Amino acid sequence: MALSGLGLVIYVIFHMLGNLQVFEGPLVFNGYAALLRDMPIPLWAARIGLLSLAALHIVLAIQLTSRNRQARPIAYAVREYRQASFASRTMATSGFVLLLFILFHLLHLTAGVIDPSSVDRPDVEGHRDVYGKVVHAFQNPFIVAFYLAGQLGLGLHLSHAVTSSLQTLGLEYVAFNRLFKAAGPTVALVVVLGNVAIILAIFLGLVRG
Amino acid sequence: MKFTLNIWRQKGPEERGRFVTYEARDVSSDMSFLEMLDSVNQGLIAKGEEPVAFEQDCREGICGSCSLVINGIPHGPDRGMTTCQLYMRRFPDGAVITIEPWRARAFPLIKDLVVDRRALDRIIQAGGYISVHTGGAVDGNVLLISKEQAETAMDAAACIGCGACVAACKNASPALFVGAKVSHLAFLPQGRPERTNRVKAMLEAVDREGFGSCGNQNECEAVCPKRISVRFIAILNREYLRAGVVESSLPAEPESPHAEST
Repeated sequence: MALSGLGLVIYVIFHMLGNLQVFEGPLVFNGYAALLRDMPIPLWAARIGLLSLAALHIVLAIQLTSRNRQARPIAYAVREYRQASFASRTMATSGFVLLLFILFHLLHLTAGVIDPSSVDRPDVEGHRDVYGKVVHAFQNPFIVAFYLAGQLGLGLHLSHAVTSSLQTLGLEYVAFNRLFKAAGPTVALVVVLGNVAIILAIFLGLVRG
Repeated sequence: MKFTLNIWRQKGPEERGRFVTYEARDVSSDMSFLEMLDSVNQGLIAKGEEPVAFEQDCREGICGSCSLVINGIPHGPDRGMTTCQLYMRRFPDGAVITIEPWRARAFPLIKDLVVDRRALDRIIQAGGYISVHTGGAVDGNVLLISKEQAETAMDAAACIGCGACVAACKNASPALFVGAKVSHLAFLPQGRPERTNRVKAMLEAVDREGFGSCGNQNECEAVCPKRISVRFIAILNREYLRAGVVESSLPAEPESPHAEST
């Protein structure tokens, strides 16, 4: 659970950093997209690796959750949490929201099934105009709302996930424990801020086609 | 003071349980929570009704016998104390107090608020001990243990095995209990030789008993009457990872120290 999750976290950080190149304009961004597409073997290796990591993560999550639910057959009538964070108590829910969002995101921007109106036209350098596609997508308020909801799920999930994974891997040292505790919320904040910046910059017209 | 109590009543393991409301009158603010229940029970006995069964022993906060989830928190609203050390002045006069037993599949209910916590004992029997006699207290400085190590082992050894960590955990996981027991032995030279097999055996016992797994929510730490830190869960995980890599230095099947000599 922890290892498959951390693998996905590393991907999500690089995904965010790569996409920030949208602020560099269409040429840089389309060039980046073309660079990734020009390496079919690493690209497909990464895709298959990510899919299997995600599948493993989901299967383990379902197994663990069902076992954990069985561990307390009768619920408390009154329950008050003192320390467990909201994020940590809603990992299954935020994970499910995230799964729906990722499926939508893949169908939308990777496979192009949703909103096929933005067909791939080549840009001036002959690369596929991924930039135009992204800008077109985030001018639609419904898509923006859906993506922002997805980012909320991502932020909640990551804020517990990273710290929890470090604990599961046994990383503990008195002087560093505050650092480990802060790791989850920090990673979540950085990734979500980066992604939301892209979405809102396009929606508000700061980045144009 | 007076209180309205919603108490879980259940005649036996197989019976259906339900909440019953009792009025506790003439409660002194200096009564402990258990003394307040004693006085309610005296009233029930006088009326010829069955008193509420609950566990208690030393009433000094050190034996780990008392339990009770009080208004949704194991051991009640104060941090770092057991139910027997909780006083009624902590509650506003006229408050409604809901009292439930520890709830976990591994802690089957016996009667009313009493649950069977022997699952924790069986985890200890699986490996939470050392197999050699260490004799009486050794002379000072014979075994050199750094101050920091000794303090860490002592912090872990403060666990009284009450099971509040299991009761508070969303997944009913005993990770804090097992972490404390594994850590306190792993930090001392007497516990070192068996540490590899110990952590494996104890975690296998956890799975056998039907507990859930740790989700690192840290709710256990917040209700622990001995304020045991969740860092011992990280140490437990580290010990387990270590046991997956390092082979035990002991023979695979050590002679049982408790076997009859022939």
